[in-house]
Amino acid sequence: MSVSSNIVDKLSELPPASSLALYVDVNTYFDALRAIVDIFATKNDLYVFYISSTIPSKNIVGLLEILGVDTSRVFFVDTISHLMANAGEMSDKFLYIESPTMLENVMLKIEYLLRKYNDKKAIVVLDSVNSMAIHNDLKILSEFLHIFVTSLRSWESYMVIISMKEQNSEEMINMLNLVCDDAYDAGGEKK
Amino acid sequence: MKYWLRKLDIGLRIYYFVMIVTRERCKTGIEELDSILNGGIPRGNTVLITGSCGTGKTTLSLEFLTRGALMGERSMYISVTEVPEKLIENMSTYEFFDMNLVKEKKLIFVDLQEIYVKLGLEKLEFTLEDVNILVEQIIKIVKELGIKRLVIDSITSICYRLTSREQIREFILQLGKALSDMGCTTLLVSELLPSAAGYSQYGVEEAIADGIILMGNLERRGDLLRTIQVIKMRGTTHSRAKYVLDLTPIGILLAPLLKGGSVEVR
Repeated sequence: MSVSSNIVDKLSELPPASSLALYVDVNTYFDALRAIVDIFATKNDLYVFYISSTIPSKNIVGLLEILGVDTSRVFFVDTISHLMANAGEMSDKFLYIESPTMLENVMLKIEYLLRKYNDKKAIVVLDSVNSMAIHNDLKILSEFLHIFVTSLRSWESYMVIISMKEQNSEEMINMLNLVCDDAYDAGGEKK
Repeated sequence: MKYWLRKLDIGLRIYYFVMIVTRERCKTGIEELDSILNGGIPRGNTVLITGSCGTGKTTLSLEFLTRGALMGERSMYISVTEVPEKLIENMSTYEFFDMNLVKEKKLIFVDLQEIYVKLGLEKLEFTLEDVNILVEQIIKIVKELGIKRLVIDSITSICYRLTSREQIREFILQLGKALSDMGCTTLLVSELLPSAAGYSQYGVEEAIADGIILMGNLERRGDLLRTIQVIKMRGTTHSRAKYVLDLTPIGILLAPLLKGGSVEVR
């Protein structure tokens, strides 16, 4: 079976309001994106609220389009473009946050999307926890993820936290084990 | 209102009633703020909305009034510093705002300058008599129009014309009491200098008001976050924690402040 279908199967096993730590490497990253944003979200008719802290949202759209993924159901909370002086005009499709350190604002922008687009359930994707860890210390990041994952449960949203295997530390894995309901290793090289 | 029957045991069996009065709430319509306030502001309270510039005081006050008008409570905004047309224009960017509320006079905007002209109070300093005339006029308008929610933005600008702390005290006390008796819930917007130590410009407002909601700017590693904190609110239990707020097209949203070694700049 392909990496994408394994990830979709894993997500399908989980009830709504679940959170999943998804371990990927550079070889499985795009399969993971396709699995979540395209196959799983389409199959379950979910909105995708995508928190980008590694690659600017406009670039992710470009990548998804190359992969042939329909991005009409995807909304971005972009925490990185402002830092690169690359933020475009704000719209519901692209919500920009000044810096990945403004963690409360990440929660608030996702809440805004959940309230406004409440006709369907959603899957929230954090890409990636490792980039967030570059800008935030692990203590505040743990606090943020704990509150965030708990609040998303009340919206019955799925949450996927992408973690790059080659950048993981033991503390990071412990934190993800603590805040997420489940974890899945999408394969590839381990650290 | 809840009644409990208690037994007082001092040899004799005497029963007595304990009456627990739960005050009616005036829901702000900002979901998380109502949750912080355990259901909303106790009806009839006079609340100081205080903070430095750019912290969202006016936006919060306007949302309070608009949500109230949408719930069928006639609401009035007394503007001291900005013309109503500009405020209405700013409000039209919010998705919950309905221009019909203004047309149908469920949401009323009053320019205080016009009241000053009408009362002949176009002067820099007020006497105690002037204060009484102004309070009477505001109460008259509230009574005649059946206003249930009132915002005065800002109380600091009015207090600027009062010559002593006693006058300020008299003004807020008189106004607050009369409005409370009419069941009108009032927000007094207070401007605060970033360096101020207390919760109001003159130090009197905070002591008299039934509630204080402090809005501020919080700096964390170069980021400036808007915050809100309920310092006091008579007539209800409430959270005293600090929250981060965002002004969104669907209204104000709040999230708990993460505890990460923050330095406040107000």
